[in-house]
Amino acid sequence: MASIWSLQFHSLSFLLSIWGNKHWLSSNVVRLPTKLLLNHSQLKNNRKVQLRAIAGSSGSEVEQPTQNAVVNSVERGLVLNSEHPFSRFQGTISSFPPVVLMMKKYGGSNLVIGFCIATAILIIAVRAYVVGKSRDNIHGSVADLVRRGHLRSDRRGISSPLKYDDPFNNPLVKVGKGNSTVEMCGKVYRLAPVTLTRDQQAIHQKRRSRAYQWKRPTIFLKEGDSIPPDVDPDTIRWIPANHPFATTTSEIDEDLAQNNVYQKHGVPFRIQAEHEALQRKLEALQNDEKLNNLMIDGRNAKDFQRPFKLYSKSNDPVEESPNNSKVVYSKPPRPKLDPNSSQGNLSSEEMQKP
Amino acid sequence: MVSLQFHPANAKPMSLCPSFQTLNPTKTLKSYPKPRRSVAIASALQWNRKPQLAGETPRVVVITSGKGGVGKTTTTANVGLSLARLGFSVVAIDADVGLRNLDLLLGLENRVNYTVVEVLNGDCRLDQALVRDKRWSNFELLCISKPRSKLPIGFGGKALVWLVDALKSREEGSPDFILIDCPAGIDAGFITAITPANEAVLVTTPDITSLRDADRVTGLLECDGIRDIKMIVNRVRTDMIKGEDMMSVLDVQEMLGLALLGVIPEDSEVIRSTNRGYPLVLNKPPTLAGLAFEQAAWRLVEQDSMQAVMVEEEPKKRGFFSFFGG
Repeated sequence: MASIWSLQFHSLSFLLSIWGNKHWLSSNVVRLPTKLLLNHSQLKNNRKVQLRAIAGSSGSEVEQPTQNAVVNSVERGLVLNSEHPFSRFQGTISSFPPVVLMMKKYGGSNLVIGFCIATAILIIAVRAYVVGKSRDNIHGSVADLVRRGHLRSDRRGISSPLKYDDPFNNPLVKVGKGNSTVEMCGKVYRLAPVTLTRDQQAIHQKRRSRAYQWKRPTIFLKEGDSIPPDVDPDTIRWIPANHPFATTTSEIDEDLAQNNVYQKHGVPFRIQAEHEALQRKLEALQNDEKLNNLMIDGRNAKDFQRPFKLYSKSNDPVEESPNNSKVVYSKPPRPKLDPNSSQGNLSSEEMQKP
Repeated sequence: MVSLQFHPANAKPMSLCPSFQTLNPTKTLKSYPKPRRSVAIASALQWNRKPQLAGETPRVVVITSGKGGVGKTTTTANVGLSLARLGFSVVAIDADVGLRNLDLLLGLENRVNYTVVEVLNGDCRLDQALVRDKRWSNFELLCISKPRSKLPIGFGGKALVWLVDALKSREEGSPDFILIDCPAGIDAGFITAITPANEAVLVTTPDITSLRDADRVTGLLECDGIRDIKMIVNRVRTDMIKGEDMMSVLDVQEMLGLALLGVIPEDSEVIRSTNRGYPLVLNKPPTLAGLAFEQAAWRLVEQDSMQAVMVEEEPKKRGFFSFFGG
């Protein structure tokens, strides 16, 4: 039990000292009462001893009231004449009636108070630690980027050399003594030397060269194609006509394909070709449009004329018929009519739709 | 781990990746001296070293197998991204005309708008058809064709040669590696895919069907003039090898007589990463198969080959404190 108390006391003083580093003033304030209490108890004992000595020196008990008065005066004088100003201060405090009362009343609960203070300090320390931790994890910091995997912690900065994870010098690869065993990923393997020699390799190569006579095919023909006259039949590769992935025919010729592969800048060939073709088509369309405009405007003009005609000349059988085919048939180009109207095309198409 | 940095930067573990002496690293990077092989203890492993690029750039590597489903596309994706992580610029070409999958494995399927067929037709330029990976900006994907389009194979092979030439001469510089994911079989697609390649990586699994196809494909590659052929043995199960239910890697090597670029153990993470569109080598923590792919990529850069293979699983020795969970 005593050890526990002493431990608590030590921890208390330790915490006090830690806390005191940051809050020097407040630690002084905290330390003061404990010292006061300790010194007060010591002082009390000393005083008793001294007073007993004084009392013992007196000859009889009759003179006790006077002696008591003397003792009191001596006590006061002792307190007042004490050399230590701090103890004088303590004495003054202890002589105050409320303090004396408190000390008498709560004399045994020092440890409880200490425990409360220690708990409070502990809570403050934990809170400070948590706040400090949360300050480290500010979003957007470099540490945060590393944590999120945007930066590699081992690659940061140019001063640190790049380390290669040498697979032969990995913590997971340990070569045993005498190079006869190797431990990889926690398993131990015995190493056996390779016995293949250069001569054996050459023998195998000769065997294979006898066993496999092969010429690289230089020409690929579809099954059913005739063999060209100047081609070695051994170098022909016959591709089945329904081969899923290979084709012997190609849309693009070899030189053009080679140029396409070697092209480093600019628009790719086909894109450019398609673009040019589109351009040409567009130009042609525009030309046609102009031409159409000529025609359509003519017809448009005619269409605009038609209601007028209908209303004016209702006896014309051709113009009265609602059949569009007749309208289509009856659209010979009339360049002599007005080509300026741009909306003529649309309106004529809209009229042709139904 | 800190102490490792004080060791000479070029030492390598002898048991895992010493190269053949005949293979000469011609091109070395400026800041890294030539590797020394004298220090071969495990504690002297390097950490900050970049693998030294051997051979002329661009290294045009075709990844082929003959048989389907052995892991060509997975290998292309993982080795390609490993190379990109090591700082090399990589262009991966999916030459599987009808059945392309590399874009799915890399998680780039939504970003493929143009393919080589469009480039040939002149619908777009080559730089527009290259899809740059956002995770590693020095990795680019190029697909040959869209699923329902046909490639004119009359000049399919030539087209790939033109592509390589165009990539060589582009403004931002020639890529260090051009990886070509070859379709299965030895059909027209295979012929197209191997045309521009200088070296080949043969992916095989330790079963007889795959080995027979691999042997035939190796023969065709050699007939075509590709001499630098290395193999990756995929989907190896050490427990089955121990029980003699599966051919060991050394047995496979004895049958094919090819240098080993890597041995990839069977790993359920492969399927998971495929479904996610997130290659295995980017997994953290790395898995066993991911580590093996990284090692294979490292050897590919240095034109290296395996000198020892993991053949048997030993139970891990438990310490005194293992009883307490230590």
